[in-house]
Amino acid sequence: MCKVSRRRFLAGGLAGGAAVMLAPAKKALAAGNLTGFPDGMGALVDLTRCVGCRSCEAACNREQNLPAPDQSFDDYSVFDQVKHGQKRRPSENAYTVVNRYESQSSDKPVYRKMQCNHCNEPACLTSCFVGAYTKTAEGAVTYNDKVCVGCRNCMVACPFNVPAYSYSDPINPMIKKCIFCYDSRVKHGMPPACVETCPTQALMFGKRDDLLKIARARIDREPGKYVDHIYGETEVGGTSWLYLSGVPFEDAGFDTSLQKEPIINNVKDFLGTVPMVLAIWPALFTGFHLLATKGKDHHEDSHADEEGEES
Amino acid sequence: MFVASGRLKRGVFLLIMLFLPLSCFAMDAPDTITIDALASFYEPVQFDHELHVGIAEDCSACHHHTTGTGTNNSHCARCHSNEEEQDLVSCQDCHQADSFTAQALSAKSEKNLYHVDATGLKGAYHQNCIGCHQDMDGPSGCTDCHARTEEGDKFFYSGQFAPPAGEGSSH
Amino acid sequence: MKLLAENGIKPLDAGQRKDGKKWNLIEKLILGLTLDQYISQVIRNKFNWILAGIMAIGIPFIIYRFIFGLGSVTHSSYDYPWGLFLGFGLFCMVPLSASGFMLGTTVEIFGRHDFEPIERLALLNGLLGYLFAVVYLLVDLGQPWRLAYPMVYSFGPAAVLFLVGWHVATYLSVQVAEVSTAFFEWIGWPNAKKFIRKGTIGLTVSGIILSTLHQGALGALFVYAPGKVHPLWYSASFQWIHFFVSSIPGGLCMVIAVSTIVMKTMSWRCDDRFKDNIDDITLKLAKGASMGLITYLVIKLIAVAHDNEWVYLASGWGFWWLIEILGGVVTPLVLFAYGLHHRLVRLVRIGAFITIAGIVLNRLNTALITFNWKLYQEIPHISEIIISITIFAIYITTYRFILNRLPILYAWKAQPQEATVTETAAAREGQKTSEVPAGA
Repeated sequence: MCKVSRRRFLAGGLAGGAAVMLAPAKKALAAGNLTGFPDGMGALVDLTRCVGCRSCEAACNREQNLPAPDQSFDDYSVFDQVKHGQKRRPSENAYTVVNRYESQSSDKPVYRKMQCNHCNEPACLTSCFVGAYTKTAEGAVTYNDKVCVGCRNCMVACPFNVPAYSYSDPINPMIKKCIFCYDSRVKHGMPPACVETCPTQALMFGKRDDLLKIARARIDREPGKYVDHIYGETEVGGTSWLYLSGVPFEDAGFDTSLQKEPIINNVKDFLGTVPMVLAIWPALFTGFHLLATKGKDHHEDSHADEEGEES
Repeated sequence: MFVASGRLKRGVFLLIMLFLPLSCFAMDAPDTITIDALASFYEPVQFDHELHVGIAEDCSACHHHTTGTGTNNSHCARCHSNEEEQDLVSCQDCHQADSFTAQALSAKSEKNLYHVDATGLKGAYHQNCIGCHQDMDGPSGCTDCHARTEEGDKFFYSGQFAPPAGEGSSH
Repeated sequence: MKLLAENGIKPLDAGQRKDGKKWNLIEKLILGLTLDQYISQVIRNKFNWILAGIMAIGIPFIIYRFIFGLGSVTHSSYDYPWGLFLGFGLFCMVPLSASGFMLGTTVEIFGRHDFEPIERLALLNGLLGYLFAVVYLLVDLGQPWRLAYPMVYSFGPAAVLFLVGWHVATYLSVQVAEVSTAFFEWIGWPNAKKFIRKGTIGLTVSGIILSTLHQGALGALFVYAPGKVHPLWYSASFQWIHFFVSSIPGGLCMVIAVSTIVMKTMSWRCDDRFKDNIDDITLKLAKGASMGLITYLVIKLIAVAHDNEWVYLASGWGFWWLIEILGGVVTPLVLFAYGLHHRLVRLVRIGAFITIAGIVLNRLNTALITFNWKLYQEIPHISEIIISITIFAIYITTYRFILNRLPILYAWKAQPQEATVTETAAAREGQKTSEVPAGA
């Protein structure tokens, strides 16, 4: 169950060690298009099942030893909280939050749980210049606060606005986000705390591939109940957390304008020019120098130099 | 807001059946069933089976196709239309108390398994109950059915563990 | 200082006194004046008081930030992880510091020695801009003591910021080396200077490489945030070219602006070579800047066309974009064109200041103002503004400190062999400055 850094993936190396607790260790060659680790785990959130009880928030709080909340977890007035015109979002004190949405397509309110979606090709990971993030073989995107410099590029890069930062800590501030209960649970084959506690099984834990099939089957079986889309299947290259909804996803606060390609693809054009510039510029500009100064007074340079000393 | 919940290190739900159900008819079925999983967070629930028998149109409303009354669900009926009463009738016989163990998950990868999406016991209960409870104005808040223990209050930071009122400092 | 100059006292500009004795370090630091003269001219200068006032207020805020954390001086926003420190400090200072590699290239690579009088100012402007961009960064980083981690401890080479970090660090070293020649002259280590001069071409070429890449990389950083930066300011394909190209007029105009300010406030420190050439050089720099600007304008429009974003122009954001482009790019272009044609140096200088404002507006728009355009706007915390201004004041102070001493605006004389000449020069300078009312 070794961790594989995304860097080695990008380098096109072996995606080895992708052993999830159930399957024997398998090694697979990383394909050009990464769609996640084989046997990577995930979670399926079915919004039609969520009743907004906030048990997942309470479970997360306890599992991750987060500070006491400002309001009880059975206080549903938090659904009315609005700051800067926005509903609640994951914070340094709450790695997951449930929000309530009204939709024209449903007479009942819709509840949506937010947390890190654990992208297949995480923007946070690829934007981190100290490699603090790891996409584990189990699918979790974890974070190493021991190397984090605190540039917060990951927060800028995250298309879901998930990572939070403990700004108030002067000595050891760090990124705070859902890590899929990797250290305490998922690594050992147990579901994350929120999934386990969910009373209605609106959250489901399993292999991402299986969850996709299940989600597809639910849509197929009750096409009237679900929107025909699995959010997270293709968004920004796919995420380990998947969503089913009975109302249009944008009604439940999802950003439906996200690109299908991983965020890192946007940067590849630029990164590709880097070795070219490094390789071409020296010869190019030395050439310019020779062309520009040939025939002219080549001493001018040294002349100017001496001028300073002699005069 | 209909919910039971808990940390559930092993995720075990215990369903103690006072009587073995032999028939769909009330006289054979248990009168009450004690549901005491999550005993640390919630008091055991005394499920008034008799009451629900009276309310439900027929047994299959909850027991799908296992009680010999057929099934109303056209999707299920394709296989389970005229089945006789089964030996296994109680919820937990099919719905696993712990549906996310490694074994349960690997079983789901079984190619020939049809019911890959079978919910766990806790999910089955709540999904089954909640629709009717909301439609028929039954109790639908968490603590309407489940009295919370002190440990449960602690978990939810509720009751005596509620944070002091006032402006929070979170973002 | 002007007052002293009027009285015929000339600041130190050579390694030795008229009597052939070498100046010592302390004497060099106080410009060869007596201590009393030095202190009284510092106190006489009102601008020093303004700077001191800003620092007296601002430095406690900086100390406060390091004791109580970023949360104490910012909004601690999760949605706006980068505030004014980076939005202004990093993203604005760096393009305005492109002057170093621009003039380095012009003089050393293309052999345009007519730009030489201003080369050192451009190099210093580059060095200080980068240095203070790093200072802003240090204030903004959660754990600034780990700044070197990406270099030595933990690597994320696939990240754009990794590139920025490495390139800014190496380029900063290159610039230190480039400017060090002036320092070595001043301190009196000719051998060290010779050593650096030998590597000039190498240093300059590496400067071009590093600048091309990290000026662009700063733009590429925003390519990570496609949904957050407004489409008019975002271009997956061209963002890095936009940032790189706009840094060219940014750097050049910064040199024009600084030289303008220097001529107004520190003419006693400029030698004749600088003064006589500055108008001519300004016009030439403006020519370069206009070429940069027109290219920038074209590629900005190409980007809008490429992503077919014309529809956004009809929105409020589109109006704002037009203000930025018309005000910050087209207006200076017109001023440059007219000014160059009629050789109106003053107009060109105004154009340069407007260009700088345009570049600053562009960077602020990208990093802060249009960022999260779908969510909400955030006005930086007042402490953030105070700290940003304070660091800028320290930047100006450092800038002046160095300009006052090192041979940036004047050529260093090793021996006072032309003592008579310098005296007449001093007299002439005295006359000149006396024409201008001594405001300092």
